[in-house]
Amino acid sequence: MKIIACYSNKGGVGKTATSVNLAYSYAKAGYTVLLCDLDPQGASGFYLRVKPSKKLTDARFFEDVARFTKSIRASDFEGLDVLPANMTFRDFDVFLSRMRNKRSRLKKALVAAGSDYDVIILDCPPNFSTLSENIFKAADQIVVPVIPTTLSERTFDQLVSFFDAKKLPKNKLKAFFSMVQRRKTLHQDTMDVMKKLYRKRFLNSAIPFAADIERMGQNRAPVSVYAPRSAASAAYQSLYDEIENGVVSNT
Amino acid sequence: MPGNNSFFVIPGALDEVKFSKSFKGLTPKMNDAKPVQRFELLDCHDQSLRASGRVLIEAGGSLHLLKDGETISQRCKGKGKFAQNLPAGPVRDALADFPELRALMSVGAGQIENRAFAVLDDLQKTQVRGTVMTLYSDRGQVSLVAAQPLRGYDRAFQTVCEYLETTASGVTGVEPLFNAVFPDLTVYKAKPEIRIGTQEPSIEVATDIIRTYISVARQNEAGVIADIDTEFLHDYRVSLRRVRSVISLFKGVFSPEQTAELKRAFSDLMAPTGRVRDLDVYLLEKEDYFRLIPPQLHDGARAMFKQFEKERTQALVRLSRRFRSQAYDQQMTTLAKLFADPGNLQPGPNADRAAYEYACALIWKRYRKTCKLARSITPDTPDEDVHELRIDCKKLRYLMEFFAPLFDARAFKRIIKPLKKLQDNLGLFNDFSVQQEALHSFVQQHSNTQGRADAQLALSIGGLIAVLDQRQKAERDRVIANFQRFDSPDIRHLFRSLFHHKGD
Repeated sequence: MKIIACYSNKGGVGKTATSVNLAYSYAKAGYTVLLCDLDPQGASGFYLRVKPSKKLTDARFFEDVARFTKSIRASDFEGLDVLPANMTFRDFDVFLSRMRNKRSRLKKALVAAGSDYDVIILDCPPNFSTLSENIFKAADQIVVPVIPTTLSERTFDQLVSFFDAKKLPKNKLKAFFSMVQRRKTLHQDTMDVMKKLYRKRFLNSAIPFAADIERMGQNRAPVSVYAPRSAASAAYQSLYDEIENGVVSNT
Repeated sequence: MPGNNSFFVIPGALDEVKFSKSFKGLTPKMNDAKPVQRFELLDCHDQSLRASGRVLIEAGGSLHLLKDGETISQRCKGKGKFAQNLPAGPVRDALADFPELRALMSVGAGQIENRAFAVLDDLQKTQVRGTVMTLYSDRGQVSLVAAQPLRGYDRAFQTVCEYLETTASGVTGVEPLFNAVFPDLTVYKAKPEIRIGTQEPSIEVATDIIRTYISVARQNEAGVIADIDTEFLHDYRVSLRRVRSVISLFKGVFSPEQTAELKRAFSDLMAPTGRVRDLDVYLLEKEDYFRLIPPQLHDGARAMFKQFEKERTQALVRLSRRFRSQAYDQQMTTLAKLFADPGNLQPGPNADRAAYEYACALIWKRYRKTCKLARSITPDTPDEDVHELRIDCKKLRYLMEFFAPLFDARAFKRIIKPLKKLQDNLGLFNDFSVQQEALHSFVQQHSNTQGRADAQLALSIGGLIAVLDQRQKAERDRVIANFQRFDSPDIRHLFRSLFHHKGD
């Protein structure tokens, strides 16, 4: 079982789109995948037409393996299951703070309920919290979408500093540029600067800003299901190839 | 994650309109049908699969095995093959208990249409998946509806299953499929049940049995001609052998002239089948023969088996030609007609004896004769006497089987068990002896006028004869002990109480 977190401390950078499309790529490659929605907004579940979990409330996520397991739903795609979120997930920090070993509860819960999956993908909420620390600890890889703008650059700096301060292994961090608009000079310049600054942290693959990705909300399916020949679909595929197989395509 | 499929047999077609409107908050959506394919229903001649509640369908280059509401599929062809020779896969594994000597043959054909469906909720999310497999023949149709649960949507799955169960109206198992699509398919039975009344005149019993087995024999002719597997000829011969034993064992039931005439007729029918059967047996035991001798001697054995294969092909061509001839057909039809009514036959002095009393007399006499011979056997008795004992045991067994319906089944089972063991022993003793003779004559046939044979061949056969001779001796050594087991006080008492009534 491998755990991949899709995380950013900034909102609206394309975490959920990345989680869903990456999870779909893994499932298509023949892996059994659990997409675990940790964001109380429940957007991952929404994209896959799975309704919010009603019964996996409050601290049960961390304490009730049977309930966790029962809340898992099959998606419409072979090999891809979903654990939908609900609004009580916003209080994770409150529950975690009351627990012993509060930084390893997530890993424990995932191992207990998800060990029969090859890959677990975590769609994470955007903040620094006890839950985030749990995520950093549980994940084997942390995929970080970064929009090449000044604010995003700043949040990524914060993330790396946080890892430094907490002595967390930075090699887990796999950042990539998201929502890239190549005709914008700002985007180009920011990418050049950040790639130089964080040479080891950035993947080569980048996801363009694309209407096809925005349409996920209407189609409620992964991009390559309804736009298989689009640039966006190809970009997610190369992101998958690079994360899973280390294959670098020239983009 | 794949779950357990459930399938339901629905006679006729699934009412799709009703199906699509039967669930609150859920809408089944049928996909377009895949192109209609031809299918063949596979089983062996005696329909072992059907008897075990299974259906094997070959369509579009795949095998689909249906059992207990589950479908197992494997991409391969099966028609004409033996189950154990299929490529490794789930269907082959599930057919592990299929008779080894029986080939999969087409017992029916028709058209098959596959459609997938998805049961969607208000978000157009699939909650249950399924398939509808419709089988048609010119006689009718049946729908096999399979539903597949999706993780986390158990309630929807249950709802759909409940609906399908109601639609199938309690129909379970695979018989409804056969009834709907192949209503005319009769089940072949190598040993049909023959009812006998205790007071029934013996001539009627004899004609009933003979008529039945003539019909069984005839049901195997096509399979011999098509050379599907070796069991057809075997069953054909066993049936005729049963007929012959009725004629010879039911003494005095037919007039002496009639008896002699019938004996000749059925012996003439059997004779042309002997060579093919012998060769079948050799070829079936090919692997065993190779195991008997060291690899250095395999070359000669290979040459011999090549010769056997060639000879079998020729012998089978001759036999098939005979089975297809008009003369043969006429002969069999005439015999069947003759036994249609006991009045057609000349009665002998025992014709009207009541079946039960006659059976007791015959079995008791045969039992005493068999025991007398068996008890006289010592390690020094000549082989001929052991062969004689084999034949006596066989006659005793046949008599008991013919009249079995008149007696207590449990008591018979207790007798048959040690008898069968003794018979198996004697059978092997006989086989090893016959095989030695056959090998010997094979070398003679393949020798030149000076009696010189090919060295490779002679080496192999010499080796085989030596081993077979030892095996034959070993079997012979077991005969006395096996008979003693059969000759226990318990079995003796059973025989006496079943068949010997004082004052008879």
